[in-house]
Amino acid sequence: MKLKRLLLASTIALSPVAATAECAVDGTGEVNVISNFFEALEVLANEMESCEGNGVVIDTKLTTDHKEETDKAFEAATSPFDAAAVANSSITLLQAKGQLRPLNDLVEKYRAEYDIEDTMLIRFGDEIAAIAFMVNAQHLFYRKDIFEANGIEVPTTWEELLAVAETLQAAGIEHPYGAAFGNSWELANEYINLLLANGGTLFDPATSDSTFETPEAIAALEKMGELYKLMSPNAMSMDFGDVKRQLQQGDVAMAILWGNEASAMDNPDESTVVDQIGFAKAPAMVAGGAPASTFWWDGYVIPKNLDGDPDLTFQVLMHAMRAETVKANNDVTLWIRSAYEPGRYTTAITDTVVAGAPPYPMNPQAALAHSALGENIADFIVGKESAEESLADATRAYRAAAREQGLLQ
Amino acid sequence: MKRSTFFSFVAPSLVSMLLLIALPLVAIVYLSLHQSFTKTELREVKTEVPLFGGLTREVVRTVPQSVLDENGNPVRVWQYVGGENLRNALDIDGLESALNVTATIRWPREFISALYGEISDVAFWSALEFTLLYTFVTTPIILILGFGLALATNRIIKPLRGTVVSVTLLPMIVTPVVSSLAVYWLFIDGGVVTATLEAVGLGKFYFLADPFTIRAVIIAFGVWFAAPFAFIILYAGLQTVPEDPIEAAIIDGATPWQRVRYIVIPYLSPLFAVITLIHVMDSYRVFEPILVFGSSVFANSVQYLTYYTLVFEGNIHKAAAYAVLTVIGVVILLIPIMIRTYKDQKAER
Repeated sequence: MKLKRLLLASTIALSPVAATAECAVDGTGEVNVISNFFEALEVLANEMESCEGNGVVIDTKLTTDHKEETDKAFEAATSPFDAAAVANSSITLLQAKGQLRPLNDLVEKYRAEYDIEDTMLIRFGDEIAAIAFMVNAQHLFYRKDIFEANGIEVPTTWEELLAVAETLQAAGIEHPYGAAFGNSWELANEYINLLLANGGTLFDPATSDSTFETPEAIAALEKMGELYKLMSPNAMSMDFGDVKRQLQQGDVAMAILWGNEASAMDNPDESTVVDQIGFAKAPAMVAGGAPASTFWWDGYVIPKNLDGDPDLTFQVLMHAMRAETVKANNDVTLWIRSAYEPGRYTTAITDTVVAGAPPYPMNPQAALAHSALGENIADFIVGKESAEESLADATRAYRAAAREQGLLQ
Repeated sequence: MKRSTFFSFVAPSLVSMLLLIALPLVAIVYLSLHQSFTKTELREVKTEVPLFGGLTREVVRTVPQSVLDENGNPVRVWQYVGGENLRNALDIDGLESALNVTATIRWPREFISALYGEISDVAFWSALEFTLLYTFVTTPIILILGFGLALATNRIIKPLRGTVVSVTLLPMIVTPVVSSLAVYWLFIDGGVVTATLEAVGLGKFYFLADPFTIRAVIIAFGVWFAAPFAFIILYAGLQTVPEDPIEAAIIDGATPWQRVRYIVIPYLSPLFAVITLIHVMDSYRVFEPILVFGSSVFANSVQYLTYYTLVFEGNIHKAAAYAVLTVIGVVILLIPIMIRTYKDQKAER
C-alpha cells in the first residue's frame, strides 16, 4: 500500500522553496541521510544538499521503506547512513536497542550557532536522542458546505459524529465517513487513537506487559465497527491515499486524516472541493475528554555505528533545520521552531493537542503491538469474529513477536 | 570430451548457480534455525517530547532498555533455536487450539465449518488456504485459456498474427505491482468498472467488500497476468505440430475437436507440463495483488506473510522460516508433475 502512496505522491508537483543563507559547515567528508518521503522532509533534504561542495558530499535518500532500512543499517557493524529521520513510533526501538548516539555534546557545541531551541530536543532520561522539527496529528476534515446546507454542527464526540452521519445519510449521502481502514498500520493507528481517548492503554506502565483485552479496548474496537458501517463497503481495501482522494472528489463528507494533508484539500490540481473543507480537532470518546488522536513528532537521529563524522553530520542537519527554512516554508507543516507562524491549515492540529491528545505511546514494543493489532482487529470489523476474540488473537501475536525480539521475557 | 574441458565449460554456470541459488538457500535455512535480538532489561525511563510554542510533555514509564557491555555497546544475542521459528511460523499452538473446537457440533458440516473458521484465524494456515486456492484455480484456467488463444491466433490470417501476439503479451510485459494497481483502480469506488456498471443501471457494486468478490478479482487478475505466458509457449508449440497426422485424420473423417484432442494435445503435452510447473511455482508465490488490494483480512498469501514478518515484525529469522516453508510447499506441489514428466520421458526412451 505504500507503493500506492508513493505513486500518488510522485505525481504531485512539489516545489519546496529554498531558504536563503549559504551553508557553511566545518569539516570534510560524506554525509548520508535517510528519511521517509513527504513534503517537509523534502524541504529539509534540499537544504542539506545545499551544503555540498568544499569537500563535503551530501547524499539524501527519501523512501517510504525508510524504517526497514534504518533498522537494518543501525544494527549492522557500520551504518551506511550517518543520520535518519524518525518519529516517536520508530525512535523507541532504536533507543531501546542502544543504537543512538547521544547528542548532548553536539547540542552544547552548536546551540548558539544554530539557535537550537529546547523544545526541539527529544530526551530519554538525561540523553538527548533526537532533534525534532515538526509535529503532526490526525484530526477531522469535514465538508463545510454540506454541514451548512443541512444545519449540522461540527461533532466533538464520536457519538455526535455517528448522529451527524445518520443525518447525512438521510440527506442522501450514502457513505458519509472515510478513514484508512484498508492498510493494517493505519487501521491500528486509528484504533490506538480511540483506545487512548477511551482511557485504555497498550502496556502496563509498571510491568511493560500488554493490556489489549480491557473493557476500554473492547468499547474502542466496537466503535470502529460502528464507523465501518458508515464507510464505503470497500473501506477494508482503502488506504490513506484513497481516503484523501475520496474527500477531494466529494465521495465522503467527513474523514480522519493526517493534519499535514490539510493544504492538499485546497490544491485545485487534485481537489474538487477547494475552500469547502473545514478542519476541526478529532472527536473525543467521552464528552469533554481528550480527542481521539495522538500527536507525533518527526526528528533526526545519529547512530552510534555511523561511518562518517558525527560533528559534520550534526552541522548539516542543523543547517537544514534553521529558522530561515521554517520561515521560507511556513505552511508546509507544523514546525516546532518558534519562528513558525500558525496558519489555517495547522490550527486543527494544535487544537487537537491542546485539548489533550496524548503522544503516540513511546514504548519500544509499540511498533510490534501496533502491527499485531493491525493484523487482527480487522477480523472483528468485517464481522469474522467477536471483539474479544480478535483482541485475544492480537495479544497472542504480540507476545510471540515480542518474545522473539527479546523484548518480553 | 576430456573431463577438464567439460568442467571448464560448465564451471561458469555451476559457480553462478552455487552463488545465486544454493548459497542463499543455505543462508535462509541457517537463519531460520537461529534467533537474534538485542538483550534488554526493564528500566524506568523519563521521556520528554516537544509540543509547540515552547511546551513540552514528560512521561515516565518502565520500558525495555538494552543491556550494555563493558564498552557501552548493546549486547546482541545470537542463538541456535532449532525448529522453533518453523514451529512459530506454522503456528502449531494456534492450530492445536483451533482443532479443539468448542462450538456445539451436531452435524459434520457444522463441525467442518467451525473448524474452517478456527483454522482460517491462524495466520499461516489462512494464508496457505488462499495460496493453494489461487494456485489450483488459476492453473487449469490459464492452460485452457492460453491454449484457446493459441489455437485462435493460429487460425487468423498471417498479417494480423504479429499484432495479436504482441497485444496478448501486454499483461506479461507490465510489472505485476503496476498491473495490480491498475486492476485495483478499476474496481474501487468510482473506478472504471464500478462506474460503468452503475451508469448502465446495474446498481452499485462493491468488489472489494467481501471475501468472495475480492478473491475472484485477485484470481481473475492472476489469470489475466499469466495466461499470455501459456499462450506464447503453446503458440510456439503449435507451429511445430506436423501436418501429416492431421491430414491423415481429416481423411479418416476426424472432427476438428477430435484432431485437437487426439493429435495436437498429446503432441503438446510436454509443453503443458512445463507451463504447469512454472505457473505452480509462480502462483504459490502470489504477492503483489495481496499487497496492493490491502486485502489480507479477506485473502492472504504465504509470500505476503513472509514480507509482513520481515517488515512489520522486523524478524528476519521467522521470515526465513516462512521462506523455507514456501520452498517446501512448492516442492510438494511439484512432485506429482515431476513424476509425471519423468515417467513420460522414460516411456519415450
